[in-house]
Amino acid sequence: MSSLYEGPVQNLVDELGRLPGIGPKSAQRIAYHILKSPTEDAARLADALTEAKARVTWCQTCFNLAEGAECSFCRDDRRDRTIICVVEEPRDIVAIERTREFYGRYHVLQGAISPIEGIGPEQLRIHEILLRIEPEGVEEVILATNPNIEGEATAMYLAKLLKPLGIKVTRIASGLPVGGDLEYADEITLGRALEGRREV
Amino acid sequence: MHLARLWLTDFRCYESLDLTLPPGCTVITGANGQGKTSLLEAIDWIATGRSFRGVADSALARAGSDAAIVRVDAMRGSGVVRVEAEIRASGRNRILVNGQPLAKRRDLGDSVRATIFSPDDLELIKGGPAQRRGFIDDLLSQSAPRYEVVRSDYDRVLRQRNALLKGGVRDTDARTTLEVFDTQLAQTGSQLIRARLRLTDRLLPAISQAYADLAREEPAVRARYEVEWSQSTLTDDAKEIEEEILRSLIIMQSKEIERGVTLVGPHRDDWRIELHGLEARSTASQGEQRSLALALRLGGHRVVTEVLGEEPLLLLDDVFSELDPARSEALVANLPKGQTLLTTASLLPDGVKADRWLRVESGMVSEVE
Ligand SMILES: [Zn+2]
Repeated sequence: MSSLYEGPVQNLVDELGRLPGIGPKSAQRIAYHILKSPTEDAARLADALTEAKARVTWCQTCFNLAEGAECSFCRDDRRDRTIICVVEEPRDIVAIERTREFYGRYHVLQGAISPIEGIGPEQLRIHEILLRIEPEGVEEVILATNPNIEGEATAMYLAKLLKPLGIKVTRIASGLPVGGDLEYADEITLGRALEGRREV
Repeated sequence: MHLARLWLTDFRCYESLDLTLPPGCTVITGANGQGKTSLLEAIDWIATGRSFRGVADSALARAGSDAAIVRVDAMRGSGVVRVEAEIRASGRNRILVNGQPLAKRRDLGDSVRATIFSPDDLELIKGGPAQRRGFIDDLLSQSAPRYEVVRSDYDRVLRQRNALLKGGVRDTDARTTLEVFDTQLAQTGSQLIRARLRLTDRLLPAISQAYADLAREEPAVRARYEVEWSQSTLTDDAKEIEEEILRSLIIMQSKEIERGVTLVGPHRDDWRIELHGLEARSTASQGEQRSLALALRLGGHRVVTEVLGEEPLLLLDDVFSELDPARSEALVANLPKGQTLLTTASLLPDGVKADRWLRVESGMVSEVE
């Protein structure tokens, strides 16, 4: 198939179209917007991309986004080491932080178990959490994966691994919208869900 | 609840239609292929968000137009509810209820509910188990919306579990993952089965009565919820069903891993219907099967009315072609009280008391004097 645009324009459209949630039409619209805007605006975007990619990595402890070896939560000594909240994505941390109900640390799985998409435990940061329990003196793990089938399956899987270690394993209470994402839950609902967590 | 008014724009063969409807019975006559069924299809779409003929939404827009528009005024206890759907050939439909966009298609049923019968419903009797499961599950969703969630959760678990089995269960990680999906299959599956058992218990007397009314005979319909993956008789105790699913999963595990597919659970079940003590699917006559299919719809209609305390619209497509004259008359004599729309290409049986007679010709509707 021949390209609709000349080389560099088509490249830009193609690259934008690869981003999640951006269809071909949106990719075109964004490409035009970038091409129409002043050179320095485009340069700022390019710099932001390059710099973020160069400086931001995964926290070696919890696998959150980090600038340096560890993320800001793992570096913060005021946060309780004995309690870990397990989430699917870094954006879920943002949702939980907004509740101001949690002062422990996090563990980011970077996804949820989903055989349909070829994601099993080995594709996630599941086994890494086991390595944190003893060194960090963890007493409680809160499973805050999304309240949908995949999130529940992941929570059950983790419970199976963690329970034999003799620590307290809790699941955030339902009351969260079923089939939903943590990201979209409002602070109050999510705050209550954290308070009302139950042992599994 | 009843529909007071129906507007169509570019829906099937209707370029433009504005129709007022009485709360009682409307008879729609006309030769085949003139648009009688499309009228019922449009009304049913507003109740369910899909075509009962099983066609894609893209097939509903009139040739040459981008979108079909269906709008109704439903009279409810609380007042008029206007539901408006723009069904776009491109896919992205827009649905407004009293001017407010509707987030979920399944919430459509909160405004307009309908029971529809069409000649294709013969498949409910003659077809495979999937037809009857679909019939029961649709009624479940209508009578208790939370079962729509249970059902979609179960489907999701089943798809995940099948993908896992298909990929091969070789190491400890995969085995533990399978255990997790076993638990979920048993949890969601037991809820679905319990709901089906409770519903079919209510349905059976209603269906049997509806059939007896049509055939003018003593009630002679029996039915049994059949589970091929277990020898035990299931009660409607969710905990017991859950344990039975888990037990069966253990027995079937090696077979499931070998075949790469889930062999245990409500997606394999059937509802075996008997007439005069014999399985209706294989032994009833064509005429009996047709009446029985209609009795299923009428029985379902009665149960939904009881559960919700409100009667859905009754849409009967070409129903008299399905019944002999005696049964047609019996149907007319036993029609429920609520709003009914029925279509016919042939002569009407005696006793039809229509509040409105309409004739449809090439997408135009006129009054019959
Ligand atoms: Zn960290």
